[in-house]
Amino acid sequence: MNETEQNFEELKRLLAFKRHEVPPPGYFSHFSGQVISRIRAGEAGGPQNFIERLQKAAPWLADFLQIFEARPGLIGGMATSLCLLLVLSVIFADRPDAASQNLLAVSETSAAAGGPVAAMAAMGSSSLLTAASDSSGIVASTNPVTSLQPTATLFGQAGASPLFQPAGFQPAGQ
Amino acid sequence: MIMSEPIATPDAATSAETLETDLVHQARRGDLKAYDELVQRYQQRIYATIYHMTANHEDANDLAQDSFIKAFQALKSFKGGSSFYTWLYRIAVNKTINFLKQRKHRQHFSLNDLDFQTENNPDLVALISHKTPLREVGLTELQKKLNEALLKLSEPHRMVVVLHDVQGQSHEEIAEIMDCNIGTVRSRLFYARQQLQGYLTEYAKPA
Repeated sequence: MNETEQNFEELKRLLAFKRHEVPPPGYFSHFSGQVISRIRAGEAGGPQNFIERLQKAAPWLADFLQIFEARPGLIGGMATSLCLLLVLSVIFADRPDAASQNLLAVSETSAAAGGPVAAMAAMGSSSLLTAASDSSGIVASTNPVTSLQPTATLFGQAGASPLFQPAGFQPAGQ
Repeated sequence: MIMSEPIATPDAATSAETLETDLVHQARRGDLKAYDELVQRYQQRIYATIYHMTANHEDANDLAQDSFIKAFQALKSFKGGSSFYTWLYRIAVNKTINFLKQRKHRQHFSLNDLDFQTENNPDLVALISHKTPLREVGLTELQKKLNEALLKLSEPHRMVVVLHDVQGQSHEEIAEIMDCNIGTVRSRLFYARQQLQGYLTEYAKPA
């Protein structure tokens, strides 16, 4: 070990040079005052910065974010892949849904093939809709709120509906 | 002014320890005057350690202040298992190493001036005027080369060299500060010196 120490003697003398590096004159006469005033200002118990709070609340997340800080390329790659994913999802969302297309095709072919149940169901539903439309002027629709409103014609309402009476104001005795 | 303190005699050390324990107790109760005294006692050593690690005065100033503030915040958790000085050093060392890991890709110097004793130091004068092949090299150039070489070391290796060869701490103290065993300190020191000798061949040749 002595031999090794002797080998490093020159280096140690060189490193001792670092002791001569000193901060600006008067630096230490203000240092403790600055620390104490920072403590007094409430920094000791006051709000911490975001990173410190995150480090306490979710250390795993803080560590994860530190990976990005150390490797900026990684965050770029991740952002690019997210953008790509977004573009692909927009493209695929514009295309018609293949599953619903298939279902529609199957129901149409079964009705056309003369399946008794399907044919009756198709007829029944269409006649019901027609009847409802004819009797009260109410257009059948899957939208219940708007469909209950009677359709207006040029000369008034088409057909008097038993459900609705015209409202008017007539003073008594006239 | 050299940034290292003279070694105290045993009697002086004992009374200083007693005083330090009292100051810590008072500071723990919120006495800022007592804490101010503790800060004044260790500010030079803490600042110097951080400065030699970062080679940047502004960073060292911020980190040293933050270390003292964090120590004040955590004073209630200080059990007294080690000396206040070791405990404070550990906070400063951890803070500095974390900081250096984060700023790995943006190192820049902000070196302090050399004191007036430098030019009268016979070792250094001999080193730059006789033993180096580059006789024209100035002290400032040597300072820069030395800091560059130190920054090439990994943080734990640099810390061991700074604490031992620059600050003059013992292996035992360093082991306690860095929370590792003495064997690790010795091996890190040896490896770090070897590395440095490689980086500074023109200045520090093996005997």
